[in-house]
Amino acid sequence: MALSLSRVPFHRSLPQGTLICVRTYANSPPGQQSPFRIQNVKNTGTSKNKKAFSRKNRIGAFRSMTPSSLTVPVLQPSPNSSLSSVPSFKPELMTENMIGQVVAFSQTPNDPIKYFGTPKNMLLEFRLLSKRCSVIRNITVFTAEELDSAAAEPSHKTRYVLTGPSGCGKSFLLLQSVQYCLAKGWIVIYIPRAKTTVNSTTTHTYDLRTQTYLQPNYAQQTLRRILEVNSANLETLTLREGLNYDRRSFSSGTTLAQLASAGSKDAVISSVVLETLLNELSRQSKIPVLLAVDDFQAIYNQKTAYRDPHFSAIRPYHLAIPRFILEFASGKRSFPKGAILGALTAMDPAFPVTNELIDELNLPGLHPRSPYSKRSKILQEYARGLMNLPVPEEFSPREAASVFETWMRDNALSAPGNDELFLAKYTESAGNPKAFVWQGILGTLEGAAPVVNQNTPWPQLREGRIVVQ
Amino acid sequence: MNVLRSQAFSVLRRPLCRRLATTRPFVPPAQLVFHDTLFAAGAKELDDNTVDALEAETNEREFEDDDFDANNSQDKAHPDSLNFYTGRSSYYDNIVELQNAISRTRGTLQRLHLLPLPEFAWKSLKPMPTVWKTPEEMTTDFETAMTISRYRKVTALLNELNEYLRIATTAGYADVAERIGSIISIFESGKKEAFLARGVRKPVQLDQYGRSYTFGKRKTSAARVWMIPVKPPSRQLGSDVNVEEAFGLSDKPRRPPVNVTVSTILINNLPIAEYFPQPVDRERIVRPLKIAGVLGKYNVFTIVRGGGTTGQSGAVAHGIAKGIFAHEPETGAILKRAKLLRRDPRMVERKKTGLAKARKRYTWVKR
Repeated sequence: MALSLSRVPFHRSLPQGTLICVRTYANSPPGQQSPFRIQNVKNTGTSKNKKAFSRKNRIGAFRSMTPSSLTVPVLQPSPNSSLSSVPSFKPELMTENMIGQVVAFSQTPNDPIKYFGTPKNMLLEFRLLSKRCSVIRNITVFTAEELDSAAAEPSHKTRYVLTGPSGCGKSFLLLQSVQYCLAKGWIVIYIPRAKTTVNSTTTHTYDLRTQTYLQPNYAQQTLRRILEVNSANLETLTLREGLNYDRRSFSSGTTLAQLASAGSKDAVISSVVLETLLNELSRQSKIPVLLAVDDFQAIYNQKTAYRDPHFSAIRPYHLAIPRFILEFASGKRSFPKGAILGALTAMDPAFPVTNELIDELNLPGLHPRSPYSKRSKILQEYARGLMNLPVPEEFSPREAASVFETWMRDNALSAPGNDELFLAKYTESAGNPKAFVWQGILGTLEGAAPVVNQNTPWPQLREGRIVVQ
Repeated sequence: MNVLRSQAFSVLRRPLCRRLATTRPFVPPAQLVFHDTLFAAGAKELDDNTVDALEAETNEREFEDDDFDANNSQDKAHPDSLNFYTGRSSYYDNIVELQNAISRTRGTLQRLHLLPLPEFAWKSLKPMPTVWKTPEEMTTDFETAMTISRYRKVTALLNELNEYLRIATTAGYADVAERIGSIISIFESGKKEAFLARGVRKPVQLDQYGRSYTFGKRKTSAARVWMIPVKPPSRQLGSDVNVEEAFGLSDKPRRPPVNVTVSTILINNLPIAEYFPQPVDRERIVRPLKIAGVLGKYNVFTIVRGGGTTGQSGAVAHGIAKGIFAHEPETGAILKRAKLLRRDPRMVERKKTGLAKARKRYTWVKR
């Protein structure tokens, strides 16, 4: 993406889909056309999606260029730098001797990363890497074994919450679990950013029948995502009873896929369709279901960002989407086969980890707590029975070495990739995965020693250049 | 070879001369009472009793040295020192002795072809730092007030002698060196050893568990650092051996094991990543380990107080560098070159009057 101030529009041949915005820097005098115009130079045949690069949709500063626009030699990938040798993620790889192995999430037609999305940090990391990789840790193997044993049991028996300090790999582990269960043939419902259900970014309408606030747009989106990822499994399941709502009727025998696609097209019936879908899934015992929720603590905050007509904060259990998550997480509703997995976000000041969760999961809280601290009985009820699955707060040297090698092969290092750099970054980050990758590998300013060209005729002009290998 | 003259008037016998010099006040000859002149001046004849009494008086006034008799001899009494009439005989005696010693030594060294010495040879001489007596101590020795000019004169001569001592020692002439040394040692301060040992680092002792305890400081922060070597993991027999692999039966090639020990750095009982969120502080702390090449060899526990992030991280790095030097003195050269063993002397500059801050001036107004 290039920014230019010139008046002349670009005539260079551009890769398809590239948008070049010429910013207006000078305000034109009133009554005249501005000398600089915002020009959208598009090739023929590109999508008309003007919102792709709008401010709202821009996430972070990392937007990778297409390979054909990488003309500068520094940006050219060296011949042996590709991550093509990284194996694809497979459920069979969850074994003891694969601990420390980096695996890549390949692009499948029902890719959960594409359709469900990921938390923001993970999204940026996947954009930086050539392939979307993660490392198999011992906790991954443990979680896979737990999920295997949960495949035959009702979900209220396997309700885990992944906990740990900031940056220890909870979201990554949750994503690995989602991929594992999907590959094993489960139905997967993954909500990567549960705080979007409670931070008042989607519409909410009061429903008299259920006496809760419905979130129709969010329900519509969720149905679409569930359908895209689990279409094969949903085709095999059918409605047991017919559904009539809002002049729409679905007879018994309609596949859940048809139901979901109908709900995903129409926001009016989406909430009811989602509810029906969940009820059906709670009744069938053919296919295990995984409900994976990141930002789990957001729905346990007593006050959401939504306001009712009296301007008091709406409780999470009065909103449709958080309510169904809470019900499944507490075991009040349960899939006959399946599991519930939640991952906390340790450092979110808007939605901190509340006392109810801290008490139930036996976590070390940040602030001093006493029996007289405020706790909500309802939320305590919803938190009952959750089990703590602590994620180790540091990489083992082997895991860290694999991660380091992956980034090294992807040309992410500014310094020569040797064991001294690895050990230095590992020591500095104390093994913390996020600090190791973001502040250690990507954030370091250490580079190779400059090489002075002695052949320069004038010693005053002799300068050291850093040769990038 | 008789290098120096016999030390009859030398400083070694000074106490004797001193006694001789000071116990008798100087009496001008005109005021001396002689028995002969008494009679010659026409004094009335004394009777025998008076004569006996006078003789007895004269005998009482007999001095220890039989050579000198101010009353009986016609000659004037020779003062003991040639520099008697300077009023500072002891001082000038010593100056003359030193100058004589210097000239004699110079002659000797020239005969031995050690003088004049080429430039490169001067640099190769054995360093012999000297600490002379203070002016106050020399005052008591020379019985004169050692002003700055007198002190400088003496020390200039002593320094020259010291140079000849260095030449003689380095060249291996032990007898020459010994003689020069005997003169020099008289003027050397008793606190020489202590003075030369000032500022020398005390070697840090490791305790019973092999831990080093060092201090580090930067700006207003102080860090106490304990370092202990990491125990390598005990390898159990057969843990690394896979029977299938050994027989070549496994089809999956096993990844090579990562056999490294890692350093754990705890600062105020928190991991380094938690205590210092900024990467620059962390890199500053790990830098001494990196430069010495001992990453993964030592575990570090620190208690740091005072200052802010930069000061605390600098103090910890200083303490770690000293700890590494305590465990491995061979790394001293490279740590010194990287200026890690040096306590960074930079402190916050004070605010001055008439200025807004240490250097910032108030806005200049033309009128």
